[in-house]
Amino acid sequence: MAQRYHIEPDLDFIKKIGTFGGEDLKKCYQCATCSVVCELAPQQRPFPRKEMIWAQWGLKKKLFANPDVWLCNQCDDCSTHCPRGARPGDVMAAIRRESVIHFAFPRLLGRWVSRPKYIPLLMSIPAVLLGLALLVKAPIENAFGISKHFSENIVFSTTRMFPHWLLNSFFSFFTVLAFIATIVGVMRFWRAMKTAGAQDGITTPARGLVQSILSVLKSIITHNNLTMCTTESSRFLYHLFAFHGFMALFVVTLWVITAAYNPLIPNGFIYPFNFWNPWKMLANLGGIALISGCVLMIRDRLRKREQGGSSTFFDWAFIWTLLAVAITGLITELLHYARLEPHRYIAYFIHLAFVFALLMYLPYSKFAHLAYRTIAMVYAEYYDRTGEAS
Amino acid sequence: MKNNKKAIAVAIPVLIILLPLGYSIVHSIFSQSAQNTEAFIEKPDAKYKNCVRETEYMRVNHMKLLKEIRDQVVREGNRGEIGLNNCRECHTSRERFCDQCHNAVNLNLDCFGCHYYP
Repeated sequence: MAQRYHIEPDLDFIKKIGTFGGEDLKKCYQCATCSVVCELAPQQRPFPRKEMIWAQWGLKKKLFANPDVWLCNQCDDCSTHCPRGARPGDVMAAIRRESVIHFAFPRLLGRWVSRPKYIPLLMSIPAVLLGLALLVKAPIENAFGISKHFSENIVFSTTRMFPHWLLNSFFSFFTVLAFIATIVGVMRFWRAMKTAGAQDGITTPARGLVQSILSVLKSIITHNNLTMCTTESSRFLYHLFAFHGFMALFVVTLWVITAAYNPLIPNGFIYPFNFWNPWKMLANLGGIALISGCVLMIRDRLRKREQGGSSTFFDWAFIWTLLAVAITGLITELLHYARLEPHRYIAYFIHLAFVFALLMYLPYSKFAHLAYRTIAMVYAEYYDRTGEAS
Repeated sequence: MKNNKKAIAVAIPVLIILLPLGYSIVHSIFSQSAQNTEAFIEKPDAKYKNCVRETEYMRVNHMKLLKEIRDQVVREGNRGEIGLNNCRECHTSRERFCDQCHNAVNLNLDCFGCHYYP
Protein backbone atom coordinates (compact mmCIF):
# COMPACT_ATOMS: atom_id res chain seq x y z
CA MET A 1 0.00 0.00 0.00
CA ALA A 2 3.03 2.23 0.10
CA GLN A 3 2.15 3.63 -3.27
CA ARG A 4 2.64 7.22 -4.10
CA TYR A 5 -0.50 8.95 -5.13
CA HIS A 6 -0.17 12.24 -6.88
CA ILE A 7 -3.25 14.37 -6.32
CA GLU A 8 -4.20 16.70 -9.11
CA PRO A 9 -6.99 18.82 -7.75
CA ASP A 10 -9.41 20.36 -10.21
CA LEU A 11 -9.85 23.78 -8.62
CA ASP A 12 -12.58 24.76 -10.99
CA PHE A 13 -14.59 21.69 -9.98
CA ILE A 14 -14.19 22.45 -6.25
CA LYS A 15 -15.39 25.98 -6.90
CA LYS A 16 -18.42 24.66 -8.83
CA ILE A 17 -19.39 22.28 -6.02
CA GLY A 18 -19.16 25.25 -3.66
CA THR A 19 -21.34 27.43 -5.87
CA PHE A 20 -24.07 24.89 -6.59
CA GLY A 21 -25.05 23.64 -3.14
CA GLY A 22 -21.88 22.46 -1.45
CA GLU A 23 -20.69 25.76 0.00
CA ASP A 24 -19.91 24.10 3.37
CA LEU A 25 -17.81 21.35 1.80
CA LYS A 26 -14.52 22.61 3.26
CA LYS A 27 -15.85 22.39 6.81
CA CYS A 28 -15.67 18.59 6.67
CA TYR A 29 -12.95 17.11 8.88
CA GLN A 30 -13.54 13.49 7.91
CA CYS A 31 -15.04 12.20 11.14
CA ALA A 32 -17.25 9.79 9.16
CA THR A 33 -20.36 10.45 11.21
CA CYS A 34 -22.18 10.84 7.91
CA SER A 35 -21.27 7.38 6.70
CA VAL A 36 -22.28 5.88 10.03
CA VAL A 37 -25.71 7.47 10.20
CA CYS A 38 -26.53 6.88 6.52
CA GLU A 39 -29.08 4.09 6.23
CA LEU A 40 -28.27 3.52 2.58
CA ALA A 41 -24.49 3.35 2.75
CA PRO A 42 -23.12 -0.19 2.33
CA GLN A 43 -20.76 -1.75 4.88
CA GLN A 44 -17.81 -1.76 2.53
CA ARG A 45 -16.43 1.63 1.48
CA PRO A 46 -19.51 3.54 2.67
CA PHE A 47 -20.53 6.98 1.50
CA PRO A 48 -20.57 9.98 1.81
CA ARG A 49 -17.33 10.41 3.80
CA LYS A 50 -15.06 9.37 0.94
CA GLU A 51 -17.00 11.54 -1.50
CA MET A 52 -16.47 14.50 0.82
CA ILE A 53 -12.69 14.24 0.67
CA TRP A 54 -12.70 13.49 -3.05
CA ALA A 55 -14.75 16.63 -3.54
CA GLN A 56 -12.47 18.65 -1.25
CA TRP A 57 -9.50 17.51 -3.31
CA GLY A 58 -11.29 18.09 -6.57
CA LEU A 59 -10.99 14.48 -7.76
CA LYS A 60 -13.87 14.81 -10.17
CA LYS A 61 -12.97 11.75 -12.25
CA LYS A 62 -13.32 9.52 -9.20
CA LEU A 63 -16.63 11.13 -8.30
CA PHE A 64 -18.14 10.87 -11.78
CA ALA A 65 -17.22 7.17 -12.02
CA ASN A 66 -18.72 6.42 -8.63
CA PRO A 67 -22.13 4.75 -8.33
CA ASP A 68 -22.38 5.79 -4.65
CA VAL A 69 -23.07 9.41 -5.60
CA TRP A 70 -26.33 8.18 -7.10
CA LEU A 71 -27.12 5.58 -4.45
CA CYS A 72 -27.58 8.55 -2.11
CA ASN A 73 -31.21 9.67 -1.97
CA GLN A 74 -30.46 12.86 -0.08
CA CYS A 75 -32.33 11.93 3.08
CA ASP A 76 -30.08 14.51 4.78
CA ASP A 77 -29.56 12.28 7.79
CA CYS A 78 -25.86 12.97 7.23
CA SER A 79 -26.37 16.73 7.11
CA THR A 80 -28.38 16.81 10.36
CA HIS A 81 -25.83 14.72 12.21
CA CYS A 82 -22.73 16.40 10.81
CA PRO A 83 -20.92 18.00 13.76
CA ARG A 84 -19.27 20.55 11.46
CA GLY A 85 -22.32 21.50 9.42
CA ALA A 86 -20.59 20.49 6.20
CA ARG A 87 -23.92 19.30 4.74
CA PRO A 88 -22.74 16.16 2.91
CA GLY A 89 -26.24 15.69 1.51
CA ASP A 90 -26.02 18.98 -0.39
CA VAL A 91 -22.48 18.20 -1.55
CA MET A 92 -23.67 14.88 -2.98
CA ALA A 93 -26.48 16.72 -4.80
CA ALA A 94 -23.96 19.19 -6.22
CA ILE A 95 -21.77 16.28 -7.41
CA ARG A 96 -24.79 14.69 -9.10
CA ARG A 97 -25.49 17.96 -10.89
CA GLU A 98 -21.90 18.06 -12.17
CA SER A 99 -22.20 14.39 -13.20
CA VAL A 100 -25.26 15.07 -15.33
CA ILE A 101 -23.49 17.94 -17.06
CA HIS A 102 -20.30 15.87 -17.44
CA PHE A 103 -21.96 12.84 -19.07
CA ALA A 104 -24.43 14.88 -21.13
CA PHE A 105 -24.59 14.30 -24.86
CA PRO A 106 -24.29 16.72 -26.59
CA ARG A 107 -22.29 18.51 -23.89
CA LEU A 108 -23.42 21.94 -25.06
CA LEU A 109 -27.03 21.20 -24.08
CA GLY A 110 -25.82 19.97 -20.70
CA ARG A 111 -24.30 23.38 -20.06
CA TRP A 112 -27.31 25.28 -21.36
CA VAL A 113 -29.97 23.47 -19.38
CA SER A 114 -28.11 23.98 -16.09
CA ARG A 115 -28.05 27.77 -16.43
CA PRO A 116 -30.94 30.17 -15.80
CA LYS A 117 -29.85 32.63 -18.49
CA TYR A 118 -30.70 30.09 -21.20
CA ILE A 119 -34.33 29.68 -20.08
CA PRO A 120 -35.71 32.05 -22.79
CA LEU A 121 -33.78 30.19 -25.51
CA LEU A 122 -34.65 26.74 -24.17
CA MET A 123 -38.36 27.56 -23.89
CA SER A 124 -38.55 29.24 -27.28
CA ILE A 125 -37.15 26.13 -29.00
CA PRO A 126 -40.29 24.01 -28.27
CA ALA A 127 -42.57 26.95 -29.04
CA VAL A 128 -40.94 27.57 -32.43
CA LEU A 129 -40.78 23.87 -33.35
CA LEU A 130 -44.41 23.30 -32.39
CA GLY A 131 -45.43 26.42 -34.29
CA LEU A 132 -43.59 25.16 -37.37
CA ALA A 133 -45.23 21.75 -37.03
CA LEU A 134 -48.66 23.40 -36.95
CA LEU A 135 -47.74 25.49 -40.00
CA VAL A 136 -46.84 22.45 -42.11
CA LYS A 137 -49.87 20.53 -40.82
CA ALA A 138 -52.29 21.50 -43.57
CA PRO A 139 -49.88 20.94 -46.55
CA ILE A 140 -48.91 17.50 -45.21
CA GLU A 141 -52.55 16.55 -44.62
CA ASN A 142 -53.41 17.52 -48.17
CA ALA A 143 -50.41 15.73 -49.66
CA PHE A 144 -51.06 12.46 -47.85
CA GLY A 145 -54.83 12.62 -47.84
CA ILE A 146 -55.03 12.71 -44.05
CA SER A 147 -57.66 15.43 -44.04
CA LYS A 148 -59.85 13.18 -46.17
CA HIS A 149 -59.58 10.50 -43.52
CA PHE A 150 -60.69 13.06 -40.96
CA SER A 151 -63.75 14.03 -42.90
CA GLU A 152 -65.06 10.49 -42.70
CA ASN A 153 -65.53 10.79 -38.98
CA ILE A 154 -67.18 13.19 -36.66
CA VAL A 155 -64.23 14.76 -34.92
CA PHE A 156 -63.72 16.99 -31.99
CA SER A 157 -62.39 20.38 -33.06
CA THR A 158 -59.23 19.99 -30.96
CA THR A 159 -58.44 16.81 -32.81
CA ARG A 160 -58.36 18.87 -35.98
CA MET A 161 -56.29 21.63 -34.41
CA PHE A 162 -53.70 19.25 -32.94
CA PRO A 163 -54.30 15.99 -34.84
CA HIS A 164 -52.96 12.79 -33.37
CA TRP A 165 -50.79 11.97 -36.35
CA LEU A 166 -48.99 15.31 -35.91
CA LEU A 167 -48.49 15.07 -32.15
CA ASN A 168 -47.51 11.40 -32.33
CA SER A 169 -44.92 11.86 -35.06
CA PHE A 170 -43.61 15.16 -33.62
CA PHE A 171 -43.19 13.88 -30.10
CA SER A 172 -42.01 10.42 -31.15
CA PHE A 173 -39.24 11.97 -33.23
CA PHE A 174 -37.95 14.19 -30.44
CA THR A 175 -38.47 11.57 -27.74
CA VAL A 176 -36.29 9.18 -29.73
CA LEU A 177 -33.62 11.92 -29.92
CA ALA A 178 -33.82 12.48 -26.15
CA PHE A 179 -33.76 8.74 -25.60
CA ILE A 180 -30.58 8.37 -27.69
CA ALA A 181 -28.97 11.26 -25.79
CA THR A 182 -29.90 9.61 -22.48
CA ILE A 183 -28.52 6.25 -23.59
CA VAL A 184 -25.23 7.85 -24.68
CA GLY A 185 -24.90 9.59 -21.29
CA VAL A 186 -25.77 6.42 -19.40
CA MET A 187 -23.29 4.36 -21.47
CA ARG A 188 -20.56 6.89 -20.66
CA PHE A 189 -21.45 6.57 -16.99
CA TRP A 190 -21.52 2.76 -17.11
CA ARG A 191 -18.12 2.62 -18.84
CA ALA A 192 -16.64 5.03 -16.30
CA MET A 193 -18.01 2.94 -13.42
CA LYS A 194 -16.66 -0.27 -14.97
CA THR A 195 -13.20 1.19 -15.54
CA ALA A 196 -13.03 2.57 -12.01
CA GLY A 197 -14.40 -0.68 -10.60
CA ALA A 198 -11.79 -2.72 -12.45
CA GLN A 199 -9.05 -0.60 -10.84
CA ASP A 200 -10.48 -1.53 -7.45
CA GLY A 201 -10.57 -5.18 -8.40
CA ILE A 202 -14.31 -5.39 -9.06
CA THR A 203 -14.52 -7.39 -12.25
CA THR A 204 -16.89 -10.33 -11.77
CA PRO A 205 -20.63 -9.73 -11.58
CA ALA A 206 -22.35 -11.18 -8.53
CA ARG A 207 -25.63 -11.93 -10.27
CA GLY A 208 -27.28 -11.81 -13.66
CA LEU A 209 -27.92 -8.47 -15.36
CA VAL A 210 -31.63 -9.16 -15.88
CA GLN A 211 -32.01 -10.21 -12.27
CA SER A 212 -30.24 -6.99 -11.17
CA ILE A 213 -32.48 -4.83 -13.35
CA LEU A 214 -35.65 -6.51 -12.08
CA SER A 215 -34.63 -6.10 -8.46
CA VAL A 216 -33.80 -2.42 -9.06
CA LEU A 217 -37.15 -1.80 -10.79
CA LYS A 218 -38.90 -3.38 -7.83
CA SER A 219 -37.11 -1.16 -5.37
CA ILE A 220 -37.91 1.91 -7.49
CA ILE A 221 -41.63 1.11 -7.63
CA THR A 222 -41.78 0.43 -3.89
CA HIS A 223 -39.57 3.43 -3.07
CA ASN A 224 -37.61 1.05 -0.91
CA ASN A 225 -34.61 3.37 -0.39
CA LEU A 226 -36.64 6.45 0.43
CA THR A 227 -38.46 4.63 3.23
CA MET A 228 -35.16 4.39 5.09
CA CYS A 229 -34.81 8.17 5.53
CA THR A 230 -35.30 9.49 9.03
CA THR A 231 -34.61 13.23 8.74
CA GLU A 232 -36.57 13.64 5.55
CA SER A 233 -39.08 10.86 6.09
CA SER A 234 -41.77 12.94 4.37
CA ARG A 235 -39.81 12.86 1.10
CA PHE A 236 -40.97 9.28 0.69
CA LEU A 237 -44.56 10.44 0.33
CA TYR A 238 -43.78 13.47 -1.88
CA HIS A 239 -41.71 11.40 -4.25
CA LEU A 240 -44.27 8.62 -4.21
CA PHE A 241 -46.99 11.08 -5.23
CA ALA A 242 -44.93 12.70 -7.99
CA PHE A 243 -43.53 9.38 -9.25
CA HIS A 244 -46.75 7.43 -9.43
CA GLY A 245 -48.67 10.48 -10.66
CA PHE A 246 -46.18 10.72 -13.50
CA MET A 247 -46.33 6.97 -14.10
CA ALA A 248 -50.13 7.11 -14.32
CA LEU A 249 -49.95 9.90 -16.91
CA PHE A 250 -47.22 8.06 -18.79
CA VAL A 251 -49.27 4.86 -18.93
CA VAL A 252 -52.37 6.69 -20.17
CA THR A 253 -50.28 8.50 -22.80
CA LEU A 254 -48.92 5.15 -23.99
CA TRP A 255 -52.47 3.79 -24.13
CA VAL A 256 -53.67 6.71 -26.24
CA ILE A 257 -50.79 6.85 -28.72
CA THR A 258 -50.86 3.10 -29.32
CA ALA A 259 -54.66 2.91 -29.45
CA ALA A 260 -54.75 2.44 -33.23
CA TYR A 261 -52.76 -0.80 -32.92
CA ASN A 262 -54.31 -2.03 -29.70
CA PRO A 263 -56.11 -5.39 -30.00
CA LEU A 264 -58.01 -4.59 -26.79
CA ILE A 265 -59.84 -1.77 -28.60
CA PRO A 266 -61.48 -3.67 -31.45
CA ASN A 267 -64.39 -1.32 -32.05
CA GLY A 268 -62.50 1.87 -32.66
CA PHE A 269 -60.94 4.29 -30.26
CA ILE A 270 -63.16 7.07 -28.96
CA TYR A 271 -61.26 10.25 -28.23
CA PRO A 272 -61.53 12.41 -26.18
CA PHE A 273 -62.27 10.02 -23.36
CA ASN A 274 -65.50 10.02 -21.49
CA PHE A 275 -64.90 11.76 -18.16
CA TRP A 276 -65.86 8.57 -16.31
CA ASN A 277 -63.77 6.34 -18.52
CA PRO A 278 -61.29 4.50 -16.23
CA TRP A 279 -58.36 5.77 -18.29
CA LYS A 280 -59.53 9.36 -17.99
CA MET A 281 -60.07 8.93 -14.27
CA LEU A 282 -56.56 7.52 -13.96
CA ALA A 283 -55.14 10.48 -15.91
CA ASN A 284 -56.99 12.98 -13.72
CA LEU A 285 -55.90 11.22 -10.55
CA GLY A 286 -52.33 11.09 -11.85
CA GLY A 287 -52.39 14.81 -12.62
CA ILE A 288 -53.66 15.64 -9.15
CA ALA A 289 -51.06 13.33 -7.55
CA LEU A 290 -48.30 14.92 -9.61
CA ILE A 291 -49.39 18.44 -8.65
CA SER A 292 -49.66 17.49 -4.95
CA GLY A 293 -46.24 15.85 -5.02
CA CYS A 294 -44.60 18.86 -6.70
CA VAL A 295 -46.31 21.41 -4.44
CA LEU A 296 -45.29 19.46 -1.32
CA MET A 297 -41.71 19.25 -2.62
CA ILE A 298 -41.62 22.98 -3.30
CA ARG A 299 -43.00 23.76 0.16
CA ASP A 300 -40.48 21.41 1.69
CA ARG A 301 -37.56 22.99 -0.18
CA LEU A 302 -38.66 26.53 0.73
CA ARG A 303 -38.87 25.53 4.37
CA LYS A 304 -35.47 23.87 4.18
CA ARG A 305 -33.95 26.99 2.64
CA GLU A 306 -34.84 28.90 5.79
CA GLN A 307 -32.93 26.28 7.77
CA GLY A 308 -29.85 26.66 5.60
CA GLY A 309 -30.38 23.71 3.28
CA SER A 310 -29.79 24.56 -0.33
CA SER A 311 -31.84 24.10 -3.46
CA THR A 312 -30.18 25.15 -6.66
CA PHE A 313 -31.54 26.21 -10.02
CA PHE A 314 -30.99 22.61 -11.07
CA ASP A 315 -33.56 21.43 -8.49
CA TRP A 316 -36.03 24.25 -9.04
CA ALA A 317 -36.01 24.04 -12.84
CA PHE A 318 -37.03 20.39 -12.76
CA ILE A 319 -39.75 20.70 -10.12
CA TRP A 320 -41.27 23.79 -11.70
CA THR A 321 -41.23 22.29 -15.19
CA LEU A 322 -42.95 19.18 -13.87
CA LEU A 323 -45.51 21.28 -12.02
CA ALA A 324 -46.03 23.48 -15.09
CA VAL A 325 -46.72 20.40 -17.22
CA ALA A 326 -49.31 19.11 -14.74
CA ILE A 327 -51.01 22.47 -14.14
CA THR A 328 -51.16 23.54 -17.81
CA GLY A 329 -52.56 20.10 -18.59
CA LEU A 330 -55.30 20.46 -16.03
CA ILE A 331 -56.05 24.04 -17.15
CA THR A 332 -56.34 22.82 -20.75
CA GLU A 333 -58.81 20.18 -19.63
CA LEU A 334 -60.91 22.70 -17.71
CA LEU A 335 -60.93 25.17 -20.61
CA HIS A 336 -61.96 22.24 -22.78
CA TYR A 337 -64.99 21.56 -20.63
CA ALA A 338 -65.76 25.27 -20.65
CA ARG A 339 -65.52 25.17 -24.50
CA LEU A 340 -63.56 28.39 -24.42
CA GLU A 341 -62.03 29.19 -27.77
CA PRO A 342 -59.31 30.00 -28.56
CA HIS A 343 -58.22 29.76 -24.91
CA ARG A 344 -58.17 25.99 -24.85
CA TYR A 345 -55.94 25.80 -27.91
CA ILE A 346 -53.52 28.37 -26.48
CA ALA A 347 -53.44 26.51 -23.15
CA TYR A 348 -52.87 23.23 -24.97
CA PHE A 349 -50.04 24.78 -26.98
CA ILE A 350 -48.35 26.03 -23.80
CA HIS A 351 -48.89 22.62 -22.20
CA LEU A 352 -47.29 20.86 -25.17
CA ALA A 353 -44.32 23.26 -25.07
CA PHE A 354 -43.74 22.36 -21.41
CA VAL A 355 -44.09 18.66 -22.16
CA PHE A 356 -41.50 19.08 -24.89
CA ALA A 357 -39.17 20.91 -22.49
CA LEU A 358 -39.62 18.21 -19.85
CA LEU A 359 -38.92 15.31 -22.22
CA MET A 360 -36.32 16.88 -24.48
CA TYR A 361 -34.19 18.30 -21.69
CA LEU A 362 -34.51 15.11 -19.64
CA PRO A 363 -30.88 14.02 -20.24
CA TYR A 364 -29.56 17.42 -19.14
CA SER A 365 -31.88 18.35 -16.28
CA LYS A 366 -32.44 16.88 -12.86
CA PHE A 367 -34.94 14.58 -14.57
CA ALA A 368 -31.82 12.64 -15.66
CA HIS A 369 -31.69 11.14 -12.17
CA LEU A 370 -34.31 8.78 -13.56
CA ALA A 371 -31.63 7.25 -15.81
CA TYR A 372 -28.42 7.79 -13.82
CA ARG A 373 -29.74 6.67 -10.46
CA THR A 374 -31.36 3.60 -12.01
CA ILE A 375 -28.16 2.63 -13.80
CA ALA A 376 -26.05 3.22 -10.65
CA MET A 377 -28.46 1.01 -8.71
CA VAL A 378 -28.22 -1.67 -11.41
CA TYR A 379 -24.42 -1.46 -11.27
CA ALA A 380 -24.47 -1.74 -7.47
CA GLU A 381 -26.76 -4.75 -7.67
CA TYR A 382 -24.87 -6.38 -10.56
CA TYR A 383 -21.46 -6.12 -8.88
CA ASP A 384 -22.94 -6.60 -5.42
CA ARG A 385 -21.97 -3.19 -4.04
CA THR A 386 -23.83 -3.85 -0.78
CA GLY A 387 -21.98 -7.11 -0.15
CA GLU A 388 -25.16 -9.15 0.29
CA ALA A 389 -24.16 -12.00 -2.00
CA SER A 390 -20.80 -12.75 -0.39
CA MET B 1 -46.42 -1.05 11.67
CA LYS B 2 -44.78 1.91 10.01
CA ASN B 3 -43.37 -0.29 7.29
CA ASN B 4 -46.78 -1.87 6.83
CA LYS B 5 -48.27 1.55 6.19
CA LYS B 6 -45.57 2.32 3.66
CA ALA B 7 -46.22 -0.94 1.84
CA ILE B 8 -49.90 0.01 1.61
CA ALA B 9 -48.95 3.50 0.42
CA VAL B 10 -47.00 1.90 -2.41
CA ALA B 11 -49.56 -0.78 -3.24
CA ILE B 12 -52.45 1.67 -3.68
CA PRO B 13 -50.98 3.73 -6.58
CA VAL B 14 -49.67 0.59 -8.30
CA LEU B 15 -53.13 -0.97 -8.10
CA ILE B 16 -54.84 2.22 -9.27
CA ILE B 17 -52.50 2.43 -12.27
CA LEU B 18 -53.27 -1.16 -13.20
CA LEU B 19 -57.06 -0.82 -12.82
CA PRO B 20 -57.88 0.76 -16.22
CA LEU B 21 -55.89 -1.95 -17.97
CA GLY B 22 -57.93 -4.58 -16.16
CA TYR B 23 -61.10 -2.74 -17.11
CA SER B 24 -60.04 -2.60 -20.77
CA ILE B 25 -59.21 -6.30 -20.86
CA VAL B 26 -62.54 -7.27 -19.29
CA HIS B 27 -64.38 -4.78 -21.48
CA SER B 28 -62.78 -6.09 -24.67
CA ILE B 29 -63.75 -9.67 -23.79
CA PHE B 30 -67.38 -8.72 -23.19
CA SER B 31 -67.71 -6.22 -26.03
CA GLN B 32 -66.65 -8.81 -28.61
CA SER B 33 -69.82 -10.76 -27.98
CA ALA B 34 -71.86 -7.59 -27.70
CA GLN B 35 -72.88 -5.48 -30.66
CA ASN B 36 -70.38 -3.51 -32.62
CA THR B 37 -70.34 0.06 -31.38
CA GLU B 38 -68.34 1.44 -34.27
CA ALA B 39 -71.20 2.70 -36.38
CA PHE B 40 -73.06 4.40 -33.61
CA ILE B 41 -74.53 7.03 -35.88
CA GLU B 42 -77.83 6.33 -37.48
CA LYS B 43 -77.55 6.72 -41.23
CA PRO B 44 -80.11 9.13 -42.65
CA ASP B 45 -82.77 7.99 -45.05
CA ALA B 46 -81.19 7.26 -48.43
CA LYS B 47 -83.74 9.34 -50.35
CA TYR B 48 -82.26 12.53 -48.90
CA LYS B 49 -78.94 13.11 -50.56
CA ASN B 50 -77.88 16.41 -49.09
CA CYS B 51 -77.83 17.96 -45.67
CA VAL B 52 -78.22 21.73 -45.33
CA ARG B 53 -74.43 21.95 -45.47
CA GLU B 54 -71.65 19.75 -46.80
CA THR B 55 -71.40 16.51 -44.82
CA GLU B 56 -67.76 17.28 -44.02
CA TYR B 57 -68.73 20.65 -42.62
CA MET B 58 -71.46 19.09 -40.52
CA ARG B 59 -69.13 16.49 -39.08
CA VAL B 60 -66.87 19.12 -37.57
CA ASN B 61 -69.03 22.22 -37.24
CA HIS B 62 -72.63 21.09 -36.67
CA MET B 63 -72.59 22.75 -33.25
CA LYS B 64 -71.71 26.09 -34.81
CA LEU B 65 -74.59 25.79 -37.26
CA LEU B 66 -76.96 24.92 -34.41
CA LYS B 67 -75.87 28.06 -32.58
CA GLU B 68 -76.46 30.10 -35.74
CA ILE B 69 -79.96 28.64 -36.03
CA ARG B 70 -80.63 29.37 -32.36
CA ASP B 71 -79.56 33.02 -32.85
CA GLN B 72 -81.73 33.33 -35.94
CA VAL B 73 -84.82 31.87 -34.34
CA VAL B 74 -84.62 32.96 -30.72
CA ARG B 75 -82.78 36.26 -30.95
CA GLU B 76 -83.73 37.53 -34.44
CA GLY B 77 -87.18 36.01 -34.37
CA ASN B 78 -86.93 34.49 -37.87
CA ARG B 79 -89.25 31.59 -37.32
CA GLY B 80 -90.62 29.54 -40.14
CA GLU B 81 -88.08 28.47 -42.72
CA ILE B 82 -85.21 28.07 -40.27
CA GLY B 83 -85.36 25.62 -37.41
CA LEU B 84 -84.80 22.09 -36.24
CA ASN B 85 -87.91 20.84 -38.07
CA ASN B 86 -85.85 20.30 -41.20
CA CYS B 87 -83.23 18.28 -39.35
CA ARG B 88 -85.87 15.81 -38.30
CA GLU B 89 -86.68 14.99 -41.91
CA CYS B 90 -83.53 12.85 -42.08
CA HIS B 91 -82.35 12.45 -38.51
CA THR B 92 -85.58 11.10 -37.17
CA SER B 93 -84.47 10.18 -33.70
CA ARG B 94 -82.41 12.35 -31.39
CA GLU B 95 -81.66 9.32 -29.19
CA ARG B 96 -80.28 7.26 -32.04
CA PHE B 97 -78.57 10.05 -33.94
CA CYS B 98 -77.28 12.78 -31.64
CA ASP B 99 -77.22 11.10 -28.25
CA GLN B 100 -75.28 7.94 -29.09
CA CYS B 101 -72.29 9.89 -30.25
CA HIS B 102 -72.53 12.48 -27.51
CA ASN B 103 -72.89 9.88 -24.80
CA ALA B 104 -69.82 8.07 -26.06
CA VAL B 105 -67.65 11.13 -25.47
CA ASN B 106 -69.57 12.26 -22.40
CA LEU B 107 -70.75 15.43 -24.03
CA ASN B 108 -73.98 16.21 -22.24
CA LEU B 109 -76.25 18.64 -23.99
CA ASP B 110 -78.71 20.33 -21.69
CA CYS B 111 -80.75 21.93 -24.53
CA PHE B 112 -83.13 19.05 -24.93
CA GLY B 113 -83.77 18.69 -21.26
CA CYS B 114 -86.40 21.43 -21.67
CA HIS B 115 -86.74 21.92 -25.39
CA TYR B 116 -88.47 19.49 -27.63
CA TYR B 117 -86.64 17.95 -30.55
CA PRO B 118 -89.35 18.21 -33.17
